[in-house]
Amino acid sequence: MGRRADIIAGLGGATPALRRYARALCAGAGPAIADDLVQSALQSVGARIRSRELRPADLAEARIETYATLVALAEKKLGNAPGPAARHPPIVHGLAGLAFDERAVLLLVSLEGFGYDAAARIVGASRETALAQLMRARMALGAEGLRPVAPLESGRRAASHLRVVK
Amino acid sequence: MTPSALIEEADLHALVDGELDPERRRKVEDHLLQHPEDAALVEGWRRQNAALRAAFEPVALEPAPLSLREAAARPPAPPVGQGPIETGAIHWGRPGAAPRPMRKLDEIRASRRRQALASTLLTLVAGAAVAVAALLFLASRPPTQSPTLTRAATSYAARAGLTYATYILDARPVEIDAAHHDELLTWLQERVGFSRAPDLDGVGLRLLGGRVAPGVAAPAAFLIYQRDDGARVGLYFERAEAVAAPSGQRGQGVTVIEWRASGFAFVLVGALPPDAMQAAAEAAAAAVLTPPTESK
Repeated sequence: MGRRADIIAGLGGATPALRRYARALCAGAGPAIADDLVQSALQSVGARIRSRELRPADLAEARIETYATLVALAEKKLGNAPGPAARHPPIVHGLAGLAFDERAVLLLVSLEGFGYDAAARIVGASRETALAQLMRARMALGAEGLRPVAPLESGRRAASHLRVVK
Repeated sequence: MTPSALIEEADLHALVDGELDPERRRKVEDHLLQHPEDAALVEGWRRQNAALRAAFEPVALEPAPLSLREAAARPPAPPVGQGPIETGAIHWGRPGAAPRPMRKLDEIRASRRRQALASTLLTLVAGAAVAVAALLFLASRPPTQSPTLTRAATSYAARAGLTYATYILDARPVEIDAAHHDELLTWLQERVGFSRAPDLDGVGLRLLGGRVAPGVAAPAAFLIYQRDDGARVGLYFERAEAVAAPSGQRGQGVTVIEWRASGFAFVLVGALPPDAMQAAAEAAAAAVLTPPTESK
């Protein structure tokens, strides 16, 4: 009982990150849709833990389950959501241009910092599939939406820069 | 993209995402030194990551709306319009509703009384539990030593975080841009009482401009710097009374570093890696201490 309550309370601490992820996943479709998704996901996971349908071993697992629920809900709900407006930065337009699965995996890894195994679990794919989606997303996003990356000279600078930035 | 036979494209992604063990990581980094085109790819993905964080990190800093507080602890709203509403009344006139026999009504009343009794007891027990918990909490709390000081210290950082979330992605992030440097400094001197825009070019941060923002107790200044890849960092300062040691804290990927100098509280906020933020904070802390004639 105590542990389940702790896990449910702990999920509250994950809310800011879930909102960040949902907002990015919606790619300009609007903060209201994103917050609705977070609310539905948190309530659904909370209810399933209380009813013992879900028995996460720890908070990390419950968090993964919440992201998975959020992704599943978003896939259903975002079908006819509006796209980004002109005021959004280019990166948001780039995200909106990606396939849903690619966007979901890219944001899990790049924005939320999940490892490949966790990200694959969240989107319900194999590690290889998730990695392929991540690669496709990065290639597609690199071509559009961002400033083109550097000719040779700054490529060299980038290489020497590599050891500094973590 | 021509990754060599030993290093595959997946390795380049794994390097960016921290999925390599140290030995493999060294190999991939050596490969990048000899293959600038792959290094450019890796750098491009890192820029994507920075751009994504810069675009969405402010969302995690906003206070969550009321509907999301404790959402996991609440049951989902019941679907509306399913099942009859139990009132205990006999629906004689309702078409399609079978009239309930009278003896059933007694059972319903009895069970309702039991439920009422149970919920009353439960409420009493819960109330007592809350009271005991509150007493324990109050009794176990250590006496705070200097409440005003600690409150001020946390609220400068909190105010800086809020200012960052408000303006960093605004269509008009700064009121006066860096092209009107002197005008900006005069304005800040008048309103805030301190007018130095530290030169952070040395750590790759270019001044975008600044504005006066509401502070904790007085008008504050908020300067915005931008890196080549578009990632932005905010420098917040406001007149402060106490002098305290610099402190850094991290939350949700945003680093907040606070220090005091010349009677002002300075806070640097941004979604850059912690060591980059530390370097920028050190550069800024040194720059605000140099006399104005020497600084830019």
